[in-house]
Amino acid sequence: MKNRFLIVVLVALMAVTVGFAQTYRIGFANLSEDIAFTQLVREGMQRKAAEMGNIELILADNKLDGAIALSNTENFITQGVDGIIHFQTDQAFGNVIMARARKAGIPVIAIDIPMPGAVFFGADNYFAGQLAGEALAAWVNANWDGSADAMLVLELPQSGPIPAARMQGMIEGFQANVNTALAEDSIIRLDSKNTQEESFRVVSDTLPSIPNAKKIVAITINDGTGQGVIAAAEAAGRRDQIIVVGQGADPTGLAAIATEDSRYLGSTGYFPENYGDKLLEAMVDMLEGKAVPPSIYVDHVFISKDNICDFYADDFQDFCKK
Amino acid sequence: MIILTTKSKNKKSKLFSSDSLATISLLISFIVMAIFFTSQSEFFFTSTNFANLARTLAVVGISSIGMTLVLITAGVDLSVGSVAALSGVLASMFWLELNIPLPISSLLALLTGALVGLINGLIITVLKINPLITTLASFSIIRGLAFVISDGQTNMLNNQGFYFIGRGNILGIPFSLLVMIVLYFIFFIILRYTSFGRNLFAIGASPEMSRLAGINVDKHLLISYTVTAFLAAFAGLIIASQLGSSAPRAATGLEFTVITAVVLGGTSLAGGKGTLIGTLIGVIILRVLNNGLVLMEVSSFYQEVARGVVLLLALSFDQIRSGFLHLRRERT
Repeated sequence: MKNRFLIVVLVALMAVTVGFAQTYRIGFANLSEDIAFTQLVREGMQRKAAEMGNIELILADNKLDGAIALSNTENFITQGVDGIIHFQTDQAFGNVIMARARKAGIPVIAIDIPMPGAVFFGADNYFAGQLAGEALAAWVNANWDGSADAMLVLELPQSGPIPAARMQGMIEGFQANVNTALAEDSIIRLDSKNTQEESFRVVSDTLPSIPNAKKIVAITINDGTGQGVIAAAEAAGRRDQIIVVGQGADPTGLAAIATEDSRYLGSTGYFPENYGDKLLEAMVDMLEGKAVPPSIYVDHVFISKDNICDFYADDFQDFCKK
Repeated sequence: MIILTTKSKNKKSKLFSSDSLATISLLISFIVMAIFFTSQSEFFFTSTNFANLARTLAVVGISSIGMTLVLITAGVDLSVGSVAALSGVLASMFWLELNIPLPISSLLALLTGALVGLINGLIITVLKINPLITTLASFSIIRGLAFVISDGQTNMLNNQGFYFIGRGNILGIPFSLLVMIVLYFIFFIILRYTSFGRNLFAIGASPEMSRLAGINVDKHLLISYTVTAFLAAFAGLIIASQLGSSAPRAATGLEFTVITAVVLGGTSLAGGKGTLIGTLIGVIILRVLNNGLVLMEVSSFYQEVARGVVLLLALSFDQIRSGFLHLRRERT
């Protein structure tokens, strides 16, 4: 009888605890809803919030614009959020956004672009680049006797030091691991403007300037620009002279990797679909007063033909059956 | 004798007409530019580079034909880039999601593009809304629809037949370039030798006078906007074919490149004036400028500046020349 009473009390206590578990309103402003990568980030956040059960997620779109990000911050404050997760591109707006959030006493996590006073979450850009560079070097060592004739670097100069770290990592990862490092003047830097079309255009214009290069390596800021490079090489009839690595491992890049006879060697995975797990756990820890490191990094893996089925077997069933 | 003298005077006046002078000055600019780039890069004047230029001329070239038509009527179409993106997206969605064969999917995408142009034309002619406002709205609506339909995703288009549109060659000449040349020839004939073409100039010069002269202005505008969007949709298919994929973000800024090329080619933004030969040279100059700057390894930031400067120079030169001709006419 006594035991039964204790069990009832325990069950009641558990029910009360669950019933009164703190619910948090968390504002998430995405970088842009027009980009496959960031759509996956948002979907991951929604999935994790549903799993956790005590998160009310309020969504907004920063539309790649600092002013909109600031306006979203003010809306979040008006809506009484407990914490803000910002994915915004304009460093110049970071100070103002953080001043507003500090005044309202709301903790902030900044994705990929740091903001003063916010916990940083994002890519370890240099390391992510290095992984791709090393894989490219290993391929050149195995297939082109350890040397290449030229390197095309499809970068994004207008976006500052963060994407630059990615590119630097790729170049240094390649140069340090390839049997014969490339001379500086064989490394051609091109502005991809982050699009497949521009990448196609600038590579189409550049290929005639390296007519004697038969072994060309290309490193690209993301998967889309990587596909632009390959399309340009194909159009110029030089498909077999090029091998490409990229960053992101988004659905476009993965589809290219899982294509027979692809010239897209692989891409460093950022796993945007998993961002939500770490982000929401860190935010709840912050709200509950637990210690959170000032920087939280994504776990990067270089995705190639060799391991794509370990991560995305369901998405590429035909390829993985072979 | 009198007739002969008149004829020779006519020939002389045609040679020194405003349009001919504009074309000649454009050709001179192009030659100067080509000589400059040849002196700066050993790779500019090579067969490989010319092949590259030929392969990548058609997207802007074909879109510019339609833009020339609407600018001649004193209109403008800011939706060409969005229509091009929608066309690629629709072709891929019809093919991948609805399993419609790719040639039919492409045709449906072209027809949808034409429908957008028809709607633009109807809004302009029936609701009497300014073409700039109308096509600015459709620029946004159509781009948004491309994102909605594709869910913001890029879709791969692995089909060798489809690749032929943007990458194929016939007797060593890029197929897209051949199509562009044929289209220029057809529209050159239409503009120059048909009443429809001549009426477009009249409408651009004065729509009211054209109406009084019995020209069905609305019909002409409807056709112009429909053709423009149809050609933009075709340009969109070329982009998708060249890249092997369709993206809702494709052809961003195409409208401004196209307007720049057409204006550079001597077509007046005020309407009533323009030639397709000028447009073609404008398209080639812009393409060669981009190509030459990349070969010279000029920073992409300075490339933007250079493009703007060239447009400004062309417009200034056009203004000076028009002023000079006007002055000469007054003196005569």
